[in-house]
Amino acid sequence: MSDNVFAAKAKGLYQILCQDNWGKNTVAILVALLSILMLVWDRPWGAVGAVRNWGEWIIYGTGLWDLLGFADVYDSDTPKAFLTHSGSVIGIGFIGGAFLSACLGGNFAIRIPPKLEMVKAVFAGLFMGAGATLAGGCNVGGFYNAIGNLSAHGFAMMVGLIIGAIIGLKYVYWEMENISWGVSGGKTIDLPVALQIIFGIAALVALLAGAYSYSNGDIEKLGGILLITALLGYAFQRGRWCMIQGFREPHMTGNAKMAKSVALSIAILAVGIAIVKSKYVGLSDMNGNSMDYFWQHYVRGTFGWGGVVGGILFAFGAIQAGGCGTGTLWRVGEGQIKLWIVTPFFGLSCAVGSMLSRKYNWEGSIDEGSSLGSYVYLPHSLGYGGTLALIFLVMGAWYLIVAWNEETNKLMLEM
Amino acid sequence: MDLNSIKPDQTLDAKGLSCPMPLLRTKKAINGINSGQILEVLGTDPGSKNDLPSWCERSGHTCLGNVDDVGFFRIFIKKG
Repeated sequence: MSDNVFAAKAKGLYQILCQDNWGKNTVAILVALLSILMLVWDRPWGAVGAVRNWGEWIIYGTGLWDLLGFADVYDSDTPKAFLTHSGSVIGIGFIGGAFLSACLGGNFAIRIPPKLEMVKAVFAGLFMGAGATLAGGCNVGGFYNAIGNLSAHGFAMMVGLIIGAIIGLKYVYWEMENISWGVSGGKTIDLPVALQIIFGIAALVALLAGAYSYSNGDIEKLGGILLITALLGYAFQRGRWCMIQGFREPHMTGNAKMAKSVALSIAILAVGIAIVKSKYVGLSDMNGNSMDYFWQHYVRGTFGWGGVVGGILFAFGAIQAGGCGTGTLWRVGEGQIKLWIVTPFFGLSCAVGSMLSRKYNWEGSIDEGSSLGSYVYLPHSLGYGGTLALIFLVMGAWYLIVAWNEETNKLMLEM
Repeated sequence: MDLNSIKPDQTLDAKGLSCPMPLLRTKKAINGINSGQILEVLGTDPGSKNDLPSWCERSGHTCLGNVDDVGFFRIFIKKG
C-alpha cells in the first residue's frame, strides 16, 4: 500500500518536472537566476553567438569564406570550432535542453508548416540577423541580458522592439487579408511517446557526457556553460517562455502575462548582476592585469540609432518567424520545421553582418566609441543604486502600461 | 459535453501553423460565424492549447475543450 503511495508521488513529481506547463513567473525567476549564474561561472549568455558561428560554418561549407572576405577580416582559414566556441556551446546546450523538455513532456513532433510559412521563415531569419547586428545582440544580448548587465543599449533595443512588433503585427494582418497562396497544407509527424522518452534520455546522457568531456584542459568552463544553458532551454520550453510574445500580445490580444513576467525577470536579473559586477570594478587579476573586461561584459556601443533600428528590424523578423532569438531555438528543439529554416538564415545574416561590422569598424570599441550609438555602462553615470532605480522604474512602467491595456484594450491593433 | 459528438458550424485548418498564426486565423474565422455557433480549429502547435482558451476567456467566447486526433488536435470554440 505504502509502495503505491510512493509510486504515485514519484509519478506526480515527474509530472511537475517534465510534463506540466510551468507558469510564466516561475520561468521568469529561474531564467534570471540561471543568467546570473552564467555570469558568475564565466560570461553572460546570448543566442546570437551560436547562430552566427553556425552561419559562418555554412558560409565556409559553401566555399565562400575566402571570397566574401571572412578569412581576411578574422585572419583565419576557418570559423571557430563549434564544439569549443563558447557562443556555439550555449546554443547547443539551449536547444539540447529544449529538446529534452519536449521529449520528456511528449511535445516533440516534426511539424511541417505550409509553404507560405517556409518562405516567411527565410526572410524572417535575414531580418533578425540584420537587426541583431545593429542592436548588439538579439532579444537576449541586445535587450534582456543587456539591461540586466546594466548597459544602456538594452533600452535602445527595447524601444525598437516595441515599434518593430507593432509593424510586424500590422504586416501579418495585411498578409492574412491579401495573400492566400500556401496558407494551408501543414503536416505533423508524431512520434510514439515511448520513443520520445528514449530520445529524451539519450539527450540527457549526451548533455552530461558532453559536459564531462570538457572537464580537462583549458576548456573546462564549457561543461558548466553546456549544463546551465541546457537548464535555460529546458525552462523556456516547459513554460513556453517567449519574449517576443511580451511585445506582441499587448497589441494582438491584450494579454499581458508574458510582458509582466519579462519585466519581473529583468528586475531580478539586474539586482544579481549589479551585486556581482560591482565587486569586480577596479580589480586586477593575480598577474596584475586589469579585470575591466568583467564589468564590460555585454556593454555594447549600440545605445543610439543602432539599438533602435536594430530592434525594429529584429522584432519585425521575429514576429514573422514566430519566435525571437531564444523562442526560435527552443522551438527548434520541439521539432518545428519553420524554425529549423529560420535558424540558418538568421545565422547567415548574423555572420555577414558581424563580418561587415568588424571590417568597417561600425561598433568601434569602448575607448574609441562606435558609429552605431554609444557605449554606456549605466553605473558610470548613475551609480549602482541609481542604475537599479532606473531599471525598476522602466520595468515598473512597462508592467503598468501592459496591465492597464489588458483592462482597457487601448493599445490593441484591430484586424 | 461529449466533444466528439459536436457538429461544428465551421472548421478552420491551422495545422502546421505556428505562433501567432493559429490564434490570428481563429480570430478572423470567428468574425465569420454567428453568436452561439461553434468553430472547430484543427491545430498542431502545442502553444494553441493554452493560447486559445485564454484568448476565449478575454474576448467573451467559450472554449469547449480539445480532443486529440491522429497527428493533430481539435479545439472547439462557441462564439459569445
